Formats: sequence, structure tokens, C-alpha cells
Amino acid sequence: MRRYIARQLVQLVVVVFGISLLAFAILHVLGDPVLLLLPQNAGKEEFERYRHLLGLDRPIYVQYWKFVSRAVLGDFGKSWYADTPAFSLVLERMPPTIYLTLSGLVVALLIALPLGTVAALRRHSWVDSLCTTVAVAGQATPLFWLGIMLIIVFSVRLRLLPASGYGTWQNFLMPAFCLGAALAPITMRLVRSGVIEVMNMEFIKTARAKGLAEGRVVVKHAFRNACIPVITVLGLQFGQLLGGAIITETVFAWPGVATLTVESIRNQDFPVVQCAVVLLALLIVTVNLLVDVVVGLIDPRIRAS
Amino acid sequence: MIHAITLGSVLVLVSALLAPVDLSAQTKDDTIVYAIQSDMQNWDPPNSVLRESIIMGYNVFDHLAARDLKTGKVGPSLAVSWKNIDDSTWEVKLRKGVKFHDGTPFGAKDVKATFDRVLNPENKLTARGNHAKIKSVEVVDDLTARFKTDGPYPLFVERLTAQVMQSEKVIKEKGHEWMQENPVGTGPYKLVKWSKKQEHLLIRNEDYWGSKPAYKYVRVRIIPEQATQIAELMSGGVDIIKAVPPDQMDVIDKSGQARTTTSPILRTAMIQLDQAGRSGANPFQDRRVRLAANLAVDVDSIIKHVLNGLGDRVATTVNPMAFGFDASIKPYKQDLAQAKKLLAEAGFPNGIDVGFLRTQPTVEPGLIQTSDAIMADLAKAGIRTKARMVGEVGPYTNLVRDGKADPMFEWSWGYYSIFDADAIFYDVMTCNQPYSVYCNKALDDLVIQGRSTLDPKRRTEIYAKAQKLVYEDAAYLFKWGLRGVWGVSNRVEYDAPRDEVDRMWAVTPRKK
Repeated sequence: MRRYIARQLVQLVVVVFGISLLAFAILHVLGDPVLLLLPQNAGKEEFERYRHLLGLDRPIYVQYWKFVSRAVLGDFGKSWYADTPAFSLVLERMPPTIYLTLSGLVVALLIALPLGTVAALRRHSWVDSLCTTVAVAGQATPLFWLGIMLIIVFSVRLRLLPASGYGTWQNFLMPAFCLGAALAPITMRLVRSGVIEVMNMEFIKTARAKGLAEGRVVVKHAFRNACIPVITVLGLQFGQLLGGAIITETVFAWPGVATLTVESIRNQDFPVVQCAVVLLALLIVTVNLLVDVVVGLIDPRIRAS
Repeated sequence: MIHAITLGSVLVLVSALLAPVDLSAQTKDDTIVYAIQSDMQNWDPPNSVLRESIIMGYNVFDHLAARDLKTGKVGPSLAVSWKNIDDSTWEVKLRKGVKFHDGTPFGAKDVKATFDRVLNPENKLTARGNHAKIKSVEVVDDLTARFKTDGPYPLFVERLTAQVMQSEKVIKEKGHEWMQENPVGTGPYKLVKWSKKQEHLLIRNEDYWGSKPAYKYVRVRIIPEQATQIAELMSGGVDIIKAVPPDQMDVIDKSGQARTTTSPILRTAMIQLDQAGRSGANPFQDRRVRLAANLAVDVDSIIKHVLNGLGDRVATTVNPMAFGFDASIKPYKQDLAQAKKLLAEAGFPNGIDVGFLRTQPTVEPGLIQTSDAIMADLAKAGIRTKARMVGEVGPYTNLVRDGKADPMFEWSWGYYSIFDADAIFYDVMTCNQPYSVYCNKALDDLVIQGRSTLDPKRRTEIYAKAQKLVYEDAAYLFKWGLRGVWGVSNRVEYDAPRDEVDRMWAVTPRKK
């Protein structure tokens, strides 16, 4: 296990480095950031002066080296736009996004686990068809549309929840549901197929033969085993979830790091984009590492291999 | 399974508890809620190019001069009067008894410190370009400042409305970094709290020198999505929103909760035709083709039917609200036969195929629909356009700046809130300017003359000539002056501002 984690950590460094290089290259292809920093009627001289101040007149490899050598020490430079350190800007915006993705994950599980299990246990019944229909409909619903619909129903019509904003538990409900609903269908189908597969295995028959109650067989024996692929996929889906957070954050005016990243790309605010990309990549890779560890803990066979 | 559900509920609860709690104690009745689409970068207006900064700056800081929204004229604010000592010296008398939010009295030393800070290239403040004509500021006495300019500077007073007054004490003692998040102004509101990308909370400045705002608190919420802003307005979560798309006006007006209000704004839309040949040789270098384009399009009916009347037809690029606007020039009327004839005369009896660079409607409502209509009209006359869409503003402006746009491209100009014909002629229509694809020595001469005299009568005559010249030369495809649409909650009174600067102190409770 230790060797495994060490290998993963090395991979983590390579992935983060690769991503930062890619982000750096793409940003430089986008065009001249000074254009967005100065008024459109600023003179040529002013543009040149600004480019020099930001170090954009130097060769690209020099710029990258400067970035990397500082970033290793945690210094991502100052945001060109906000004139404050990029690192603290990104860090401040991390918690809202993490809360949102975690709540989305929880909502997805709250929907997917019961529905998926019920669908598996009542295979080919009307319950199963209903669950599958819900899953297909859920997968086909664009996040953006769902968000706006929730706002129209619960805020504009029923006046039950605030349409947007951040800070109270009421603010959490719609965005968390929105994001969770996007992840729930795939999770539900995985739970369903996982439970179906496990229920046919020998050890379930043994459990039944021992005279265990069916509920106990499902919860204690089948479910634990069916969970393994679900956890793995959820880990892989974490990046997707962050992608979904961009839309959810925009619709619900959620002050998270996902919108900050998109906004910074639009503003060509290189230091903030670089910092956000590196930190988000770190987060995703760490989550996947944790998932591997957790799966190892649940399943001794994986641990041993 | 039960464990999983319990764990899930606990996680949701914990996440909700970990989230910061809104502690604002104010009541709805003494609070006005205003929504903006994106947050500003900092609370240091000269260090920003965003409109949001200008708007927030107006609510917390004051300027030496301010525009009267009813008359459109610039009048006193922190300055009570100004006069020319000679062609390149302005003397400004300041208001007595004004205090900054920290209690320090406002005076000429603050005016000097503000401009010295902006004009110093080492401070890399983006507002520097706006005041490049100012050479120095001197303190004559506590309440008198003298500005030296680089030659005659007719836009001096206009530009005073675009520079907030900051405190000498703060500039010297607290410094640049501190000023990015801590505004110390003399304005009607003070900043209480800034939750970045989320909200600004302002409280009334009880010692304000001007009239007292009706609402004690202002919450400025950042809501990026327009549909969410509209939903908030209709559910009572927000009182004022701006830039409402024309097709959403009906929804708001019929909600019973809010209404829309419109105002002409200082922005003119046009389609630039590459007369200067910056994108390479093209048919628009011939005046007859440019004229044909102007005659091909039925602009009036596009304004009426596509824009729901939200545009004011203009004969040239000069906005009706700008100083120097000449109302006597009548816009082109659609004449397809004449357009075809002109194309044939120019050597294109079978019409032309030409590239058209397009973008998303970030500042111009209904841009997609109106440009579609224009393309259809142009095709009727034989000008067949091949559209290329570059949605993001940055790359789009880059193409234009680098001369890589198509021979036709969409453009609009907001004058940097300077209500003067010079603000569009110089930047968008003279030779070799980054965003100009028109080059005419005769126009350049007129523009230089216009900015070299302080005599308003003489300047009016010069700009009348300039407008006639670009009109007759059909310099660009002329469109309209834009109108802004605001959504306003039925619990408040508020009129759309013509300079697009929302003044929260002008909002009052609606009489029942």
C-alpha cells in the first residue's frame, strides 16, 4: 500500500506539472491580456509599458520558468486584475465550491443509493422501469435549464427559497440539488448493476442459506460489495462535478472557484488561472488518491494486489 | 444503507454550518438591493477599467464635477466653480466643509495627491490615459487648485466627472495595497463589508455634504446570470437590475412585482467598413460601395421591429447626447435600386461577397438579431456577407486591433462616458488608431482643430463639418444610439440614468 501511495504521489507531481504547462501554453495562444487591462483608447506606449511591467515582453520559456520557480514556493504572483495575490484569491473561493460539490455528491447518493438498490431488487418490474426513466430523464436534463426551472418554481412562484446567493442553509438547497441531480443518474445505474451482479454471487446464497433476513443480506453483504465500483466512479466523476459547479455557481450566483476560474480565463488574468488550475488539479488528483485508498480499505483483495 | 443516509445528512448539515452566515442586521425597509453581473476588481476606481468600478465609485466617492441627469450638463460637485486662467491653465475652487469618511477635511492637497498618484507612470494606474493631457496640479490655497494642461484641453471639465477624489492622508499613510480594498471617500455611502464575488454592503454617510440618501443601507449583490437577476427581481430579492434584454421587458412588466424603465445611453452602434484597407484590399475602399451598404439597410424598421424601439437612429457615429451632435443631418433611407446602381458603378454589377466579423451581445442588446436583419437587407442589394463569429470580447478586440478583422465588423463605442463628439471621432475614426479602419486626412484635421480650442461655438462648427464629412463619405454603416433597460422593483422609485451610472442615493421609496 505504501509503495502504491508513493507511486501515486509521483504521478500527482507529473500530472500537476503537465497541466500547468498546458494551461500556460493555452493562455498564451489566447491573445494579448494587456488589451483587457487597459482602456481601449490607451496609447501604444501605454500598452508597451504595461506589457513590460507584467513581463510579457520576455520569451515564453523565461516567463514559464519564472512562474514555475515561484509556484513551487507557493507564490503564484499577483492577479493582474485584482492587484492582490492570486493564491489567496483562489484559496478564498475554494470553500464555497468544495461545500457545493460535497453537497452535490451527498444529494446524488441520497437519490441514487435507494433508487438503484430498489431497481435492482425489483428488476424488470414497473419500479425498475420508473427508476430507469428517471435516470434517463435526469441525464438528459441540462444543468442550466434545471437551475433556472428550480428558481422559477421555488423562488418566483412559491417564494419558498432565495433565488440566488450564498451564506444561509436555504441558499444551499437548490444548487446542491441541481448538481446532485446531474450526478445521480449515472450513480444510480451503477448501484443497480452492482447490486444485481452481487446478488447472484455465491456468498449471497451462503448468507441466505445461513437464514439471514433479506434486509440484512442486502445491506450488510450485497451493498458493501456493490459500493466499490460506485466509489471508484464517483472519484472519477469529481472532475465532472467541478465542471458542473461552473454552471451551478453561475446560475445561483455562488461565489466559488469554478466561476472565478472561468472569469479569469475571460479576463486573461494569467496568475489566477494558473493558480486555480494547479490547485484544482491537485484537488482532483488527491480525491482520486483518497478513493483508491478507501476502496483498498473496503476490499482486502485490492489492498493485497 | 441507513448509515450512508445518516452520513449524508450529517455531511449536508456540516457543510451548511461551515458556510459563513449572513450577519447583516438591517431590515428590508431601510435597505436597497442592487444587482451587478460581475464583481469589481478592487475599491480603487482609478485602478480599474470596469463600469462596475465607476458605478460603485460614484456611490462612495465624489468627483470634482458631476452630471445633472435631467439636463445632461456637467455641474459642480466637490468643485464649486472652474475657470480658465489661460489656454492651458484651469483654476478650480473647492467646496468648503466636506469631510472624508475618516473625518479628515477635504481640500486642494487631496486634489493634488489624487492626480499626482494617477499621473505617476510607476503606479501603473489604468486611469492615467484619461488624464494624460494634465501636466501638473498645484495647490493655490486650501480650497483652490490649479491644473496645467498640455495645450488647450476642452474635455477638461468632462473628464473631472471621471476621476474620484481620494484622500492625501490615505494615499501617503496607508498606501496603494491598502487602498485596493478600503475606500475612503467623501461620498453619500460608506463601505461596511465586501464579500468578494458575492456582495458589498454600504451604509449611509450621515455627515454627507449633499442631500441625504433615502435608504440607510445598500446591498450590492453580484449575480452573473441574467435570468437569475430577473428571477430575483420578480421574487423580491433584488430592487434594481440593469441591462435587461429587450425580449424580457414584457415578463418583468407583467409580473406585478417590478417594472422596466429605459433611457438613451451614451453608446453608438455601427458596422465598421474597412475603408483604410487594414484587413487588405476590399470593396469598401470605394465610397460607392460603402454608400450602397448604407442605402441597402432599412435601419428604421430594424429599430422598430427587432429592437422594440430601443434605439435612436443616428446619421453618423455621433451620439445625440454628445456635445457637437448635429441633428440637421438626416440619416440614410433604404433605397435598394440606388444601392444596386452604386455597386454596378463601382464595378460590381453582380454584387459582392464579403467577410463580416461578428461577436456576442455583451454591450449591445439584440446584436445577433439586428445583425441578422442587416445581413438579409444587404443581400437584397447584392452585398452577400460571410459571417465569422468570435464570441469572446478579448480575442475579438485583438483581431480588430491587429488589423485581422474582416472588411465588415460589428462595433459600438461608449465614449468612456465623455459626452463629447471628440470621444468617438478621435478613437474610432482617425487614421492609425487601433480601433479605426477609416482614414481621411480631412477628418483628422478637423478632429485636431476640435481638440485645440476651448471655444464651444467654434467646436460645434468644427464637429458639424466633421459629421457632414463622414456622412457624405459613408465612412461606416451607421446604426443607432443605444437605449439601456433597467428593471426596478415596484417598492422603489428610480429613473434610468443616461450615463449608466446607478446612483443609489437617488432611489426613494415608492409612494403608495
